[in-house]
Amino acid sequence: MVPTGTEETICRLVREYSDMLLRLACARLSCVSDAEDAVQEVFLRLLTAPVSFRDAGHEKAWLIRTTLHRASDIRRRAAKRELPLEEAVQMAAPEPGVELLQAVRALPEQYGAVIHLHYYEGYSIKEIGKLLGLPAATVGTRLARGRERLRALLKEEIT
Amino acid sequence: MNWNDYKKAVDALPLSDDFQERTQELVRRQAQKEKERIAMKKKGFVRVMAAAAAVALFTVSAYAASRWLSPSQVAQMHGDPTLARAFESGDAIKVNQSVETENFCVTLAGLVSGENLSRWNSQADKAHTYAVMILESLDQSPLERDNFPLDEYTFTPLVAGYTPWSVNNWTLHAGVSNMEQDGIIYYLLDVQSIEMFADHTVYLAFYQGTVPSRDTFTMAEDGTISFAEDFEGPHALFTLPLDQSKADPAAVERFIEESGFDKEWFTTVQPDEPDDGMEYDVQETETEDGIHIEILPKSGEETSGKELN
Repeated sequence: MVPTGTEETICRLVREYSDMLLRLACARLSCVSDAEDAVQEVFLRLLTAPVSFRDAGHEKAWLIRTTLHRASDIRRRAAKRELPLEEAVQMAAPEPGVELLQAVRALPEQYGAVIHLHYYEGYSIKEIGKLLGLPAATVGTRLARGRERLRALLKEEIT
Repeated sequence: MNWNDYKKAVDALPLSDDFQERTQELVRRQAQKEKERIAMKKKGFVRVMAAAAAVALFTVSAYAASRWLSPSQVAQMHGDPTLARAFESGDAIKVNQSVETENFCVTLAGLVSGENLSRWNSQADKAHTYAVMILESLDQSPLERDNFPLDEYTFTPLVAGYTPWSVNNWTLHAGVSNMEQDGIIYYLLDVQSIEMFADHTVYLAFYQGTVPSRDTFTMAEDGTISFAEDFEGPHALFTLPLDQSKADPAAVERFIEESGFDKEWFTTVQPDEPDDGMEYDVQETETEDGIHIEILPKSGEETSGKELN
């Protein structure tokens, strides 16, 4: 068991995971400051509601899932203030990678998260399954459907 | 277009170099606040607030209810006609119970649960609960959304038998919208459906503070949740009249599993801090300000007084 709730432990988690979690949150949220808020809330939650992790894998999985949940909350709250996401993609005329990033953000969480973890962080389907608590087959399906949706959004083949 | 472009775009995001440092500093500051609060509790002065403890729940009169917007009107004001219709449906529960606490009258107007009840819900396939709470001042001074510190107050569901820090707004992925009309503030809470817990007592708590903690709530051995005896600030606890047949223990199991936490964290109140193996004497002295509690090592254990913090 890895106890949390102490300042030292949480600061260690910040050092180890905050960059990865911030990029993950940025793949779900278009505003960097919102992404920062989501990640900081995750770490502060460990302070007020300490939990014992089974091992380092469980620790990382919990941080990833909780970050995705917080990002999802922030998206939902912001949804009514924003343009429909497809429209936002069409309006933008940015660099190819930025366009793809915006399209990934526009995907529902179930697809966007696995796409980012696979194509940016380089996790295998099996590893993503462990991190998100999903069967590997489900991750594979989400990856495939996510790519299909991206194609539809971008109206071109993804190589 | 390829995934290398995606990587480049992510790497080019304007992330601040000092995010790690700022986050660590935030954690340290917050940890210090927690330590100070615990120290105050351990050796400090506990004020007896007998009068403030006498908060009573009452059903509001038809006159009072008529002054307020109905849950359906609140949903309309939020731009959600779908939810407005849901609040008028037979599935909606009208509560209209109030608690007067310090300078506030807090009212739980009603709630409704189900799938596809809101146009703003991006998880249409997942059931949600929506509740409307009303906040007004008792001294007739209008509450204004722009001036009122909304962030300092929390409305959150809690469930008997589950620790308040495990089942609440934060773990149920809640969203709260606030609206103001005629000096009255309306809260519209949108949270993952709490009907799955309907075979337990389900509460809606209002209090001054943020994430539920051991300083705010206690859970008795039978699972009953109440505010901590020395909790200060406006607070109220409503019991929700949910239909027990809507309980879904399998969904609760999934919720716990998906949380990533151990089940024990949900159901057991862990000790406040590790036992240091020492025994202490507790001395209580009545003062004008209340009761002064002093905790000292038992005679013979240590020669000098040790402060607990």
